[in-house]
Amino acid sequence: MMSKRRIDWAIYAAFIVLIMLVPLIMDSFWLNRLAKYLVFGMLGIAVALSWGYAGILNLGQGLFFGAGAYMLAMSLKLASSTSLQQGSDKPVPDFMLWNAEPGAKTELCCINKASFLWLPFQSQWFGVAMGLILPVAIAFVLGSIVFRKRIAGVFVSIITLALVLLVRLVMIDAQPVTNGFNGLTDLGWFKLGGFEFDPYVVPTYYLIAVSLSVVLIAARLLVETRAGVILQAIRDDQNRARYLGFDVPAYQTFFFAVSALIAGFAGMLYVIVSEFASPTFMDLSFSITMVVWAAVGGRASILGACIGAILINMISATVSETEGFAEAWKAIIGLIFVLVVLYMPRGIAGLAHDLIDRFITRRPSTPAPAVRVNDPSSQPAE
Amino acid sequence: MLEVLFIGLSLGSILLLVALGLAITYGAMGVINMAHGEMVMVGAYVTVLSGLWFGTDIFIAIPLAFIVTALLGLLIERVVVRKLYGRLLDTLLATWGIAILIQQAVRLEFGLSFLGIHIQGLGPGLQNVSVPDILQGTFRFAGADINRYRAFIILVTAMLAIATWFVIYRTVAGTQVRAIIRNPKMAAACGIDVTRVNALTFAFGSGLAGVAGVMMSGFKTVFPDMGTSMVVDGFLVVVMGGVGSLLGSVLSAGILGEINGLVAAATNDILARAVVFGVVIAIIVLKPKGLFALKGR
Repeated sequence: MMSKRRIDWAIYAAFIVLIMLVPLIMDSFWLNRLAKYLVFGMLGIAVALSWGYAGILNLGQGLFFGAGAYMLAMSLKLASSTSLQQGSDKPVPDFMLWNAEPGAKTELCCINKASFLWLPFQSQWFGVAMGLILPVAIAFVLGSIVFRKRIAGVFVSIITLALVLLVRLVMIDAQPVTNGFNGLTDLGWFKLGGFEFDPYVVPTYYLIAVSLSVVLIAARLLVETRAGVILQAIRDDQNRARYLGFDVPAYQTFFFAVSALIAGFAGMLYVIVSEFASPTFMDLSFSITMVVWAAVGGRASILGACIGAILINMISATVSETEGFAEAWKAIIGLIFVLVVLYMPRGIAGLAHDLIDRFITRRPSTPAPAVRVNDPSSQPAE
Repeated sequence: MLEVLFIGLSLGSILLLVALGLAITYGAMGVINMAHGEMVMVGAYVTVLSGLWFGTDIFIAIPLAFIVTALLGLLIERVVVRKLYGRLLDTLLATWGIAILIQQAVRLEFGLSFLGIHIQGLGPGLQNVSVPDILQGTFRFAGADINRYRAFIILVTAMLAIATWFVIYRTVAGTQVRAIIRNPKMAAACGIDVTRVNALTFAFGSGLAGVAGVMMSGFKTVFPDMGTSMVVDGFLVVVMGGVGSLLGSVLSAGILGEINGLVAAATNDILARAVVFGVVIAIIVLKPKGLFALKGR
């Protein structure tokens, strides 16, 4: 008889094999789309980590996604042919030239007041490094302040939400450096050892699929470590964990930063397959949509949240092919969401676990103990 | 300068208009109603539709919108929110789903657009409401030009705030609501019909959003997504003011409105909103319970 944990890992393995085999049957157009959805799956993992395991409902996950995306996009923008065809041997983003004051020196150092920030991004690897460092740094600073002050529950959600909207506005306002509402478009291709990742070729799909597999396994292993278990204890009863002597904010900050790292990584991969970065990544609706994916897939299951994200997007894409149905589909998503929260708080993963339990015990199943869905903020204050 | 302060005051009153209903549903019931912005939107559409069909003006739309959105709120409370009391973050998620549903219902004309039936005034397009002559233009006050419609908004907001204060602090139902804010179980033990009071409170909060929608329709374009950003602003006001404190919401709306107005006058609207978000974050971090939290809980 197989243990539950083994079945879990078997499902993980099956999922990874499945996404590895997909290129055999899909054309390059759909492969590019699927690659995007795999990136969203990675966002699902990030949400499951912070929401499902740490109990921190981050409504500003888009901030980390956007940070990762913009950092790499800046490098890829400079690598783009549009930045090199401006009569200078040094790259300058085209939008900076369009808006340059007459007579301004058309070089990155001084075309406008803040353009020097772009200088180090001439190296692609600087962009990659920043795409990972910046989200983690933001999360670390934010987490250190918020969790040390024992802010919890809905207040964390509101702070993260306000922060992502704030950054979005600043990005839009800083038009000369960020191209404002339009974002960064016409990007070059990501290069790795002489190979260029054209978004519509199979190796690019594998770059995403392998990255997702690594993140998936790493996240799963991480929550099984001692730290991961302590984190879940904190989620279930913060005060008790504190009385037991655990440094609660340290664990929360650590996992918050890991979640940010994954989201930032996802942002970079998204830029590689979609060839743009825009302030819409930091829209409120995008951050909440990520939470929807995780909730439908199963907020307390890493693979569940990942599959939830991929499934919803696959169905959306298929349905939207039919004209006029796209809007109706949105309404259906809204309805599904209400129903999931009301009747299936553990999502698809919860259903799957119930089935596995039934399979293992081979007797009329007793209802599995419901996962704790009440959040800490509903408990009496200290 | 006076004109800038006046604009800040009118921005603050718009914030308060949206936040009043939230202050009640969130403060009293522990429900984060993300569909609140959609209630505002429905209120705005009530103005559009009543104008198109009956030729009535904005004054008639105010009570009409209150009734329509209060009934809608009652329905939402009965069907969804009731099952989620005590699960704060789940109410946020479920009402987000409801918000999408309401938006799509308006955009798709309740699904009738698939059958080729179109309702004038609904659908994905933009709608405009014409403001009655008496509210157009400006008047001079203390040496400054004051926009009549903005003054009207401030007046209506002040009246609604006073009415809400009266309902909450001077009526039996309001006393029951406050008892539930303090301790729902104890309130129930004292014989208060918590489910009934909650349903009515939610309906009242939604009705206030409807009135806010009528006021919005007079100076903003009406479209299905208009509520989303409002609900965020409303929440920031309520959380900053202190959950469950009406006075806190009034003051924080005033403060944020003035900050918005002043920064916008000095720089631009986008930065002004960014500064408002920054102030709210700072205040929540420094005083997580808000400026005027209830004590002794």
